Amino acid sequence: MACTSFSLSNQTIRSTILPPFPACNSTFRRPLRISATCATSQRTCSSNVSTEYAPKQVSLYEVLGIQMGASCQEIKTAYRKLARSLHPDVASNNGDEFIRVHAAYATLSDPEKRANYDIEFFHRRRPAGMSTSGYSRRSRTWETDQCW
Amino acid sequence: MAEQAYTVASDGETTGEEKSSSPFPEIAIGIDIGTSQCSVAVWSGSEVELLRNTRNQKLMKSYVTFKDEVPAGGVSNQLAHDYDMLSGAAIFNMKRLIGRVDTDPIVHASKSLPFLVQTLDIGVRPFIAALVKNMWRSTTPEEVLAIFLVELRVMAEMQLKRPIRNVVLTIPVSFSRFQLTRIERACAMAGLHVLRLMPEPTAVALLYAQQQQQNVHENMGSGSEKIALIFNMGAGFCDVAVTATAGGVSQIRSLAGSTLGGEDILQNTMRHLLPNMDSYISRHGIDEIQKMGLLRVATQDAIHKLSTQPSVEIDVDLGNERKVYKVLNRKEFEEVNQNVFEKCVSLINQCLHDAKIEVDDVNDVILVGGCSNIPNIRNMVMDICKKEFYSGMNPLEAAVRGAALEGAVASGVNDPFGNLDLLTIQTTALSIGIRADGNSIVPVIPKNTTMPARKDVIFTTVHNNQSEALIIVYEGNEKAVEKNHLLGYFKITGIPPAPKGVPEINVCMDIDASNALRVFAGVIMPGEQSPSAPFMEVRMPTVDDGHGWCAEALNRTYGSTLDLVTVQKKVQH
Repeated sequence: MACTSFSLSNQTIRSTILPPFPACNSTFRRPLRISATCATSQRTCSSNVSTEYAPKQVSLYEVLGIQMGASCQEIKTAYRKLARSLHPDVASNNGDEFIRVHAAYATLSDPEKRANYDIEFFHRRRPAGMSTSGYSRRSRTWETDQCW
Repeated sequence: MAEQAYTVASDGETTGEEKSSSPFPEIAIGIDIGTSQCSVAVWSGSEVELLRNTRNQKLMKSYVTFKDEVPAGGVSNQLAHDYDMLSGAAIFNMKRLIGRVDTDPIVHASKSLPFLVQTLDIGVRPFIAALVKNMWRSTTPEEVLAIFLVELRVMAEMQLKRPIRNVVLTIPVSFSRFQLTRIERACAMAGLHVLRLMPEPTAVALLYAQQQQQNVHENMGSGSEKIALIFNMGAGFCDVAVTATAGGVSQIRSLAGSTLGGEDILQNTMRHLLPNMDSYISRHGIDEIQKMGLLRVATQDAIHKLSTQPSVEIDVDLGNERKVYKVLNRKEFEEVNQNVFEKCVSLINQCLHDAKIEVDDVNDVILVGGCSNIPNIRNMVMDICKKEFYSGMNPLEAAVRGAALEGAVASGVNDPFGNLDLLTIQTTALSIGIRADGNSIVPVIPKNTTMPARKDVIFTTVHNNQSEALIIVYEGNEKAVEKNHLLGYFKITGIPPAPKGVPEINVCMDIDASNALRVFAGVIMPGEQSPSAPFMEVRMPTVDDGHGWCAEALNRTYGSTLDLVTVQKKVQH
């Protein structure tokens, strides 16, 4: 995944260079039945798949639809539930949404990555006036939580 | 609307036709083509059923005999004796040979088989031929596989009384994308459309997920997440997977695999019994082929017996007063195959390590495949996992049952009891990267990345004013570049003049929902918003048969003139 230093080029490629997915791909998985317009609109979401945290972007917690202090069990359950509806094997999409959900899950289910993410996320949010005490109280759980 | 009928199909052989738009889904059948045996299964509406051939067999030998004008495979053909398969007229082990070049050690090891495998050692496809009326008649692994698949298709159509088109095939974990295109090619030749290619242990994982789901429904299971280690070793390949299962969703955590199986054990043992075996068979005369057939059958039989008895007597007359006589005990057998067993251990350990789990976290250990009966394999897995093996599956049927489940799920079949409420989230078994940083591989999509996936890495030039860069894409987990599989290559041109290390070359790889790999690359100069030249989009693999010498030719022609290095500031997450 990308660091902030080249996120610009990243987004440029994704939003301007990549053509829409062809309507039907190879034989390995279920053929995609999506229109070009649908694919293009989803592609713009895909540029969010990274650990850069622009203020306007939704947090990884929001991607999974959970609270910041969610337990590992809650993270896993939320991920599986979303996978069931978004994975291209079950939904007619090109997988961008699932990639986004999995990226959020991969970060939040790893205690170390989650800690780093929380710190960075916290620093970005604080100028906007987020409560320090509420955050620190809830964020303590990950250290003792072994996800796997 | 009329124009839409005239569309050009993709040039790639991998692209199949689109699914029919019938409102009633055709349930795809599951096929497990093993190195030595194969089987077919289908979702019957309430459960998975294995199909039987006219001789009432569920497991059929994987071979094709070229006797007269019409070749006959192990589905319809009945061998009078195992020797008949070893006369040189039958081609088998095609799964070990498909998509390999003649420099591959596996191809070289296949030279001791009764049919003809000829190599020129230049990195092209080997010459394979069957003995027909005392002549070597050439064929290809794809052709042999296609003939065999046609027989399976006829068998399935007769039993199910409907045309069969869509299939889910199981494949070894270690197969490269090029090998997958060869399998798809064989299926296309047989008139079959590949809906999914499933790594064997992930098919087993799906069956396990279904069984866990049923336990929950019957209030036997807790419904919480379960970690399973799946060890699958057949005649040709050894595959390991770690899967996390809950609520019918099987998330593959890691995969590891190698071309290692019963065939290696058999050949090791044969060489132990007849140390000069390779020089003996090299002439490939009719007499040698027959005598080697005798030794092969006797050794195979001995290995099977050693699973239940401590020692076995082997007595083979090779003619001209040459005899092989030996009492082989289990300890000696295990010593002879030490290298195979050690490799199995390392695959399991690697898979556990990649999944980031400890042995204690494993809830179930699942042992499947023909080699799971070998006592030393069982002991060895037991030593690592310290756990009784999962007993809910038939070790020889687990993979094909999983493939049939996937066939039903992928065909959109619904089961009122929720037995098909399943999802497998696959990962890449091999990393995909480009040659950079001197002569090494820099992964862009590392192994065990969840699919679909999209990743990118920034590279930069190694020479001042370097105007072009060569992107050579490889797949594989080996450190040495030449040991990995070349998928394709292309050039980025028009890099603006700049000191080395300044231009940013973005290489993005995308594996989409249908497992198609596309590589995007282009150059962006620092401070600029958009690329100065159009980006490239290349579908891989693009390289056909000659991938062995192709990489060498590129290296010879260009050396390091068009090289790239990774940008060090980039942080991998």
